[in-house]
Amino acid sequence: MIENEFNRRDFLKVLGWGGAAVAVSGCGFTSVQDGVENVVSYVEANEYMIPGIGVYFNSTCAQCDAACGITGKVREGRVLKLEGNAASSINRGRLCGLGQAGVQAHYNPDRVTEPRTGKGEKLDWEKALGQVKEKLTGVSGDEIAFLTGNLSGHLKVLLGNYMDALGSKNHFVYDAVAPAVMRASNKKAYGNEMPALRLDKAKVIVSFGADFLGSWVSPVNFSQQYAQFRKGVNNGGRGVLVQIEPKMTLTGANADRWIPANPGTEGVLALGLINALGAAGVSIPSDIAASVSAYGVERVSKDTGVSAEQIQKLAAVLKERSPSLVIAGGGAEGYAHGSQNAAAVALLNQVLGNVGKTVEAPSVVPFPQLAPTAGGTAGLKAFNDGLAAGKFKVVFTLGANPVYSAPAFMKLADNLKKAAFKVALADAIDETAAQADLVLPLDSAMESWGTVVAEYQAGDAHIGIQQPLMERLYDNTRSAGDILLSLVKQQKADDYKAFEDYYAYLRGAVVQAKGSLGGAGMDDDEFWSTVLSSGMVKTGNASSSLRTSASAVTLPAAAVADAAFPLRLLPYVQPSMRDGRHANLPWLQESPDPLTTIVWDSWVEMHPKTAAKLGIVEGDIVEVTSKSGSIKAQAYIFPGIHPDAVSVPFGNGHTELGRYAKGVGANVFQMLDPVFDQETGELAINETHVKVSKTGKRVIVVKEEGAAGGSQAGKKIAGRLASNNVDLSKEV
Amino acid sequence: MSVSNLLQNWSAVRHTHPVGDAPHAEYKWAMAIDLDACTGCNACSVACYAENNLPAVGKDKFEHGQQMHWMRIERYWDEDGRDMPDQGAQFLPMMCQHCEAAPCETVCPVGATNHTADGLNSQVYNRCVGSRYCSANCPFKVRYFNWYSYPDQEISWPSPMEQQLNPDVTVRTKGVMEKCTFCVQRLTVAKHNARNEGRLVQDGEVQTACQQACPTSAISFGNLVDPASKVAKQWKAQQVELAVDKQAKDEGDDSHEVGEHHSTTKLRGYRIFEELRAYPSVMYLERVRESAV
Amino acid sequence: MRHFLRLSILLIGLFSGSSSFAADTLPPVNTADDLGPQVDQPIEFPHNRHAKDMGINCMYCHTYARRAPVAGIPPLQKCMGCHNGIESVKDKPRIKELFKHWDEKKPIAWKKVHDLPDYVRFNHERHVKRFIVQQDKPVQEVCGYCHGDVKEGTVARRQKPLSMGWCVSCHEKAHPTDKTAQATAQGPNDCWQCHK
Repeated sequence: MIENEFNRRDFLKVLGWGGAAVAVSGCGFTSVQDGVENVVSYVEANEYMIPGIGVYFNSTCAQCDAACGITGKVREGRVLKLEGNAASSINRGRLCGLGQAGVQAHYNPDRVTEPRTGKGEKLDWEKALGQVKEKLTGVSGDEIAFLTGNLSGHLKVLLGNYMDALGSKNHFVYDAVAPAVMRASNKKAYGNEMPALRLDKAKVIVSFGADFLGSWVSPVNFSQQYAQFRKGVNNGGRGVLVQIEPKMTLTGANADRWIPANPGTEGVLALGLINALGAAGVSIPSDIAASVSAYGVERVSKDTGVSAEQIQKLAAVLKERSPSLVIAGGGAEGYAHGSQNAAAVALLNQVLGNVGKTVEAPSVVPFPQLAPTAGGTAGLKAFNDGLAAGKFKVVFTLGANPVYSAPAFMKLADNLKKAAFKVALADAIDETAAQADLVLPLDSAMESWGTVVAEYQAGDAHIGIQQPLMERLYDNTRSAGDILLSLVKQQKADDYKAFEDYYAYLRGAVVQAKGSLGGAGMDDDEFWSTVLSSGMVKTGNASSSLRTSASAVTLPAAAVADAAFPLRLLPYVQPSMRDGRHANLPWLQESPDPLTTIVWDSWVEMHPKTAAKLGIVEGDIVEVTSKSGSIKAQAYIFPGIHPDAVSVPFGNGHTELGRYAKGVGANVFQMLDPVFDQETGELAINETHVKVSKTGKRVIVVKEEGAAGGSQAGKKIAGRLASNNVDLSKEV
Repeated sequence: MSVSNLLQNWSAVRHTHPVGDAPHAEYKWAMAIDLDACTGCNACSVACYAENNLPAVGKDKFEHGQQMHWMRIERYWDEDGRDMPDQGAQFLPMMCQHCEAAPCETVCPVGATNHTADGLNSQVYNRCVGSRYCSANCPFKVRYFNWYSYPDQEISWPSPMEQQLNPDVTVRTKGVMEKCTFCVQRLTVAKHNARNEGRLVQDGEVQTACQQACPTSAISFGNLVDPASKVAKQWKAQQVELAVDKQAKDEGDDSHEVGEHHSTTKLRGYRIFEELRAYPSVMYLERVRESAV
Repeated sequence: MRHFLRLSILLIGLFSGSSSFAADTLPPVNTADDLGPQVDQPIEFPHNRHAKDMGINCMYCHTYARRAPVAGIPPLQKCMGCHNGIESVKDKPRIKELFKHWDEKKPIAWKKVHDLPDYVRFNHERHVKRFIVQQDKPVQEVCGYCHGDVKEGTVARRQKPLSMGWCVSCHEKAHPTDKTAQATAQGPNDCWQCHK
């Protein structure tokens, strides 16, 4: 920087240590020369914009459906970092890694920046939207389909209006890893799809495969409740967590007792516990007691592989420590009898008297039209059936990537070809957008307006406001709301002519309802700026209630194993990758999986015994074959899995989606067997049976875990205290 | 001094706590991490990437141990020879422990890593020449070396990702060592604001990025000099003192050994490798495991 | 020369623990004015006209200096606040250029003159508080410590070395803690105070 300075770096260069001198040689980050960098001032400065000092704006996280409130730090017009919004009752100022990586979705180098045709020709918006209009001309409503991920708020309203205008009823909602079976069974058992769970009030939590700390429903909210549950804030002592699942999830790794029951026997264990509780003197309605009488400890132990002693112990703790909370999650639901499993678990909750104590009536936003769509894989199946029958001529996709995540047996990619015109609203060229005839580029969540209603509302019900945290990075991207508004204007120009853009629509809609949103005394501008500064609108709660009466559950007989496919495939929903839509975020690829510590790849988890039997060691490339397909991936020997099962994470194995995702790992979706939950029609993701064989290749598994492989080598590094009935609430 | 003399009188020549005669006047930044609350979710680590301009290095470099995560989650299994880890895994967030007698500092040939008056272990990038002695001497292995010029690596910040970089934190260049700073850029701002108002930084006024993100609030951070700060109260309640190498409560206890610790005091606080006399500024609280189930 | 250098780095390695060694061998600090290169700016801004002839306070335009780490280039709006009302110079080429930018709402791409390396943190506010507020020194004098006698120049040009040794030479001096006090204090000497 200074010519006559004693230059230590030149001094080092002379000695051949020049590497350190890169700092001054203008790689763009450390330029120190006079008159080289520009310094640009504002034309007109806002009083609150001070160079060098961050300004914070509230918005809503769009990385998953939990809809946590976020606060974006903005410096000199760029969003730098996301924090949790402390005022949000969902995440109370906290934010998970997936949420943190929202900025990388925004700044992703592989975003699609211009409308383009299937051949990759760039279009302007007028032409692009004109194409849509042209292709819709003369096409009847029945021949138009719109596949989306979960939607809520005014985007859902606008899409509904668009479909109405087109005379189409074919809006399919698809979420590849949704708790769809749980919703249905909750509805049956409690009269409500998504009751509020009070983990913090429970003395014992028994979770049947619900990874509530990792990927299930609203992980940040549950994590906070979990901390209180452990600390004994509202439950009079440190809560005890028991996790029943054949593949250890993040929640299982945090349990006081992780019980790898035989896959699919969760319902049997739940009924067995009811039986054992009855035997221990817990009062149980006679019809239910009769219905579980066949589930004696011996038989349950034999079916589930859980020792009789363990079952008795668990029943004793459940009896002694009340209230408890029993949850059924993905691990218990992904079976042909998933609904019955979930119903058996709900019944256990009812028998324990937890309904009304730790399972509460939820907070509900009193605007049903804005409520989130509760999608699952049934939506995908219906969409695919329509495609296969050649019913759809024009197909839209938004927030869903079925070409990647539909199982191969559906032949969705082929079926999609039967639709003459496919429009993908996408922020990157994913597998589905790559097959589209028209790609409409979306703004990132840091650039768009929106309203979001969380399916799981905690505390005060509210609508999350999504607002731009910075100017668009690319001139030619548009928000989903703006695109839909333009499309609906093509059909019904007059109805929407008052709204120049989606912002105007959204503001109009929110301000119009200010009377019922706590803004009765305010003028429109004042109310709107209050809404924007808080990043949410508290709506008050609509009344909701839970049913407490219980009814008996019957379980089907266990299926007989197929000798050709001796192992069960338990796909893993990784907290950061979920259904694979985030595979293009390098922070998440490089963030080790908490259990295996593997990065930048897929893996096949096997129990050491199973691996020994097959002669497989860590790093062997193995082929996992089901009736419906196969994948190849590195083996990882992992103690936290049932010996009769293998596990492969969802999320990787992309053939598109940009530089960070493409070619990384294997796609386990495509090899799933066509088995569905018999009540809901949801894809049963744990019902795939496989065989595993060595390919002869071996690689070094790239992972965080060191050579010691999880051993503390005799040192006290991660300390552990064995203690019963401790109370940590007196601790500072 | 002969080597035999040195070895015989090791405890006398070893460092005692270095600031015993000049205690921290205004600030001593310290941390407490509750392992019973920590779920190992990695939110802290990703938050650290975002806050501190850490590069993603990609699979090849990760394989060579060149990952740059200042904050990592270590995962351990119980070592009791069972088939199934039926009490789960043990997670441990590990980052620079900001030792009071930091082993890294004494071996730096150019004085690039120093102790600050606030009790931080500082790393000055423009002074570092990349000898990597500090990393070799760190018992916690929390120092990360820039083997490459990451701004020039296609994977780390391809345009427009560089726009996310935090201007308050240097983007390190090839050949320098780096590590957790306790988010010193945030501390600087907090101290600056406090000084403008003629006071000291109050508890809760400043959070590290990992602490702020943590979904279970497992991490607390603050000023150990301030007896009203949460972290000072935690250290006091757990009877963990900064300037000793064996806590009074641990007398007669072999809890430096691995495995279950059946405490009589029910105090969970400990520091890792305390016996090495590095005097770390991070106290961990043991994870609790209930055996009734 | 090469041999000498090799020896000296060895010595630095051996004696890094000993501070007296380092103190004895510090190169003399250059405190002389050190004029930077002439930098062409999009508009040739006359500092002398504003700061000397008109007597405008530095912080009238560089308004962020007292409340932010960076002093900031004033927004165009600020320029217009005065120049809209000054008819006498409206037809001068530089002012025309200014109006052109304003009408197009296009910011001016100034060249940075006082550039510090990326690893340095300098806080204007702290120095303004220390010397202007606490010691009640004249603004132009205080700004001049680092920026030189701006009122005598036209387009800004670096006047001082802005090197670490030069910073430290001032930090090592005993500065009165306020206008009247006898007590003095030095500037901070901690690496992380200025390095990031």
